[in-house]
Amino acid sequence: MTAPVAPLDARRLPIEIVLPIEGMTCASCVNRIERFLKKTPGVEDASVNLATERATVLVDPAVAGRDEAVAAVQAAGYDVRPEALPATGAGGAVAGSTAALADEVTAEDLERERTQRRTLLQSAVAIVAALSFMVLMFTPQTVVATEDLNKLILWPATFVQFWAGGRFYRAAWRAGRHGGATMDTLVAVGTSAAWVYSVFVTMWPDVVHLAGLHPETYFDSSAIIIGLILLGRWLESRAKGRTTGAIRRLIGLQATTARRIRDGVEEDIDLALVVPGDLLRVRPGDKIPVDGVVVEGASAVDESMLTGEPIPATKSAGDEVIGATLNTTGSFVMRTVHVGRDTALARIVDLVQRAQGSKAPIQKLADRISETFVPVVLVVAALTFVAWFLAGPEPRVTLALTAFIGVVIIACPCAMGLATPTAIMVGTGKGAEVGILIRGGEALEGAGRVDTVVLDKTGTLTLGRPAVAAVIPTEGLEGGAPRLLDLAGSLERGSEHPLGEAIVRRAREDELGFLVVEGFEAVAGRGVRGLVDGHEVVIGSARLLGEIGIATGTLAEAGEAAAGQGSILSWAAVDGRLAGLFTIADPVKADSAEAIRLLRAMALDVWLLTGDSRLTAESVARQVGIPPDRVIAEVLPEDKDATIARLQAEGRKVAMVGDGINDAPALARADLGVAIGTGADVAIEASDVTLVGGDPRLVASAIGLSRATIRVVRQNLFWAFAYNVLLIPVAMGVLYPAFSITLNPALAAGAMAMSSVSVVTNSLRLRSVDARPGQVRTMRRGPLGLVRDGAFLLGVAVLALAIAGGVLAADRAIDGASQRVAVAAGNLRFQPADVRVRAGQWVIVEFTNADPVVHDWMVEGIPNVDVAARPGQTARLRFVLDTPGTYRILCSIPGHAEAGMVGSLVVEAP
Amino acid sequence: MDKQLPIAGHHTGAAQPGSAIDPVCGMTVDIAGATARGLSGEHNGMTFYFCGKGCKLEFGDDPGRFLDSTYVPSM
Repeated sequence: MTAPVAPLDARRLPIEIVLPIEGMTCASCVNRIERFLKKTPGVEDASVNLATERATVLVDPAVAGRDEAVAAVQAAGYDVRPEALPATGAGGAVAGSTAALADEVTAEDLERERTQRRTLLQSAVAIVAALSFMVLMFTPQTVVATEDLNKLILWPATFVQFWAGGRFYRAAWRAGRHGGATMDTLVAVGTSAAWVYSVFVTMWPDVVHLAGLHPETYFDSSAIIIGLILLGRWLESRAKGRTTGAIRRLIGLQATTARRIRDGVEEDIDLALVVPGDLLRVRPGDKIPVDGVVVEGASAVDESMLTGEPIPATKSAGDEVIGATLNTTGSFVMRTVHVGRDTALARIVDLVQRAQGSKAPIQKLADRISETFVPVVLVVAALTFVAWFLAGPEPRVTLALTAFIGVVIIACPCAMGLATPTAIMVGTGKGAEVGILIRGGEALEGAGRVDTVVLDKTGTLTLGRPAVAAVIPTEGLEGGAPRLLDLAGSLERGSEHPLGEAIVRRAREDELGFLVVEGFEAVAGRGVRGLVDGHEVVIGSARLLGEIGIATGTLAEAGEAAAGQGSILSWAAVDGRLAGLFTIADPVKADSAEAIRLLRAMALDVWLLTGDSRLTAESVARQVGIPPDRVIAEVLPEDKDATIARLQAEGRKVAMVGDGINDAPALARADLGVAIGTGADVAIEASDVTLVGGDPRLVASAIGLSRATIRVVRQNLFWAFAYNVLLIPVAMGVLYPAFSITLNPALAAGAMAMSSVSVVTNSLRLRSVDARPGQVRTMRRGPLGLVRDGAFLLGVAVLALAIAGGVLAADRAIDGASQRVAVAAGNLRFQPADVRVRAGQWVIVEFTNADPVVHDWMVEGIPNVDVAARPGQTARLRFVLDTPGTYRILCSIPGHAEAGMVGSLVVEAP
Repeated sequence: MDKQLPIAGHHTGAAQPGSAIDPVCGMTVDIAGATARGLSGEHNGMTFYFCGKGCKLEFGDDPGRFLDSTYVPSM
């Protein structure tokens, strides 16, 4: 506290200390305390509040802290109340501290997991229910009547509709309030139409009967739609990463304890209890606990995790230090300035969250399609109703309503919810095989349109670790370069400095550096010296050598040339004479140049962004093939984010590739954030894509894979809608005049099945994509791609026709083997009234109604053997009975049987 | 922070029996209570009573200032 320090400048803000004061009675107490505080050195301002009994003091952290403020208050004659425990949140964590952040994160994660599990459960229940309904409804049997079956299915179907399908209603309502329609609206409308109609048919089958229709329900359609859409949602939620992962990583980075000095006593305390103004001791190897200012001592601090620069920065009294960075070999005392949410690290995460939040969510393709599709469908359905009402047969209202409902039901594609997640799943799986980890579809939708790629330098294009570029001995040095390397490599064994480590690594490459060293001494921040193999060796900066009287003039030219490239110079002297020079730089990765080439081959504009010096940046840019006007250097960590924003403002779609914590805000803001996997976890959490292993060529592969995946998503959506849209005219009744065919649940189920199969198989086609580094060419969409897509389309069409053909053929075969019976209804009588059939043989009854009212032909006692016909209509019934016997036939319309509309059915033994 | 709240009628108002006026801030102080808490002090043969130790300390630091006729006791 007695060391001279620089005056408080604008960049370093005073810290605020709050003290509760005992014994104040009136305003002059206030005045007095303020007066005593203000005349304490280091106190910028003090204000005392009588009502709250608190003094708020602004101090320059380099000069004064809590202890000084307390002393001033006591000198004025008052006491500071012993600290009350700060407010605690759930779990006992101090509010606003990092532990409280951790609690929040855990709570959010638990909530999300709970929601995910519930979605999966709802999906499974809905799908199982739907399949059961289908089996029950479509299996031809004469044991349980359709009407009774419907009543049975009604209950589980209603449960599924509102328990599992409830979220669609809520979401549709929310969207509707803003006047829009989304995928949820489409699902809510479609499934509601199905459910309402089905309930109606179940409760009042006679009304339907009177219209000459079978009491068929669409409970299965509704349930399967809900089930599959929920399945898609669950898949999507699994793929999406945890958005709060960045905070969790941050907590992992911070220290957990700090060594506080108070009233002369040193004590290890929980990090959560540190407040601004506290004095902390930082020992060698410690993680710096919080943001602060050095007040005593000196050391070198490794700030690579924040700035990416591998050379530790020297810190002495008055210098700022940042929490979570690593102290190397010195020891010092610091004053706390920022804690918890105010630290530089927390501010970076805040920037990340803000960047993530400010990105307008790319409206999902499915939602965009639904936005127009829903109104169109409703209009078409309305027109259908009108057409049937005006021009259709009796009973008009029932038939018109049925047609209306049919259009709405079939318009809801169940595979829509699977279109995106299945493609993403296959695409991410493919990427994972080569080390490309993709997080979620939203990222990919933006990736496809990227036209600019911005790359960080250190750790992305370079190794991120200093390495010796050249070993330059002085002329005439005995033993030349190998001797120099041997001596230096041996001496630097004891050094923990990255420059020294680089020299050792270089020596090891030539199997040198094992000489005996005595008297090793590290001169803080400037070099090392010692006795190697009997010789006095000094290695360090030019200044260090100058201090011991060694001139570097003979190698000055080589030194300047290297420095001009941005390299660092490490000079060596042996026995008091200059021995040589090591030029050290962060080497460019072997594949970086090719990576840039691949990106440019994809017509992308490539930029270099770095906080390092312009010289180094341009040197690297030259080596990898980035033109100098695309190099942005000397950028402060907080400005990387702003640079991306600036490029985006020019209308570009920007991809950012980086690895450091300081890259995280830029990664979050970019349209596609790519984290090189060797970097910080915070960067990974802030990005959309992570490249495991650090090969920069994977950037091109990642973009290519994203584009291919999006293409498949679009195709999937086509397939999801295609079958359903094709059936809309059928539901409208286009085939009715000629073939008497309108929509029925079997057709609907068939469409659902085909579209789901198509979507899944189309997604699987992504497996044929080759995403290996350098193979980007094979992913390009050329004429070959079109042919492949065309072949797939053809294949699916053929398959669909084959299935339809197969079903028709089977049907026809049964028809061929059936016994045909023609029954006419006229004048309230059946003609013929008595029918004979064989047990076990299929029978087709063609029932023609010549009367002006609706009739039906029903076998009493056997469920599901009945057919209704409207006036003038011929309806068809196909059935098979296995038990011989005689049964009564009657018309079930009230009053007709009593009037004599009866007959008999004799089933003969085979 | 507003420190200059004028107390109306200080100069002319007479203290209630058993109470005195704090010469620093002008508050009315109960003599017995102040004495019990040690919030009284002597100067030039006179005994003064204070509302709190702050005023007492202020007074002790510079009595002449507060006894000057132009001094207006204020909060």
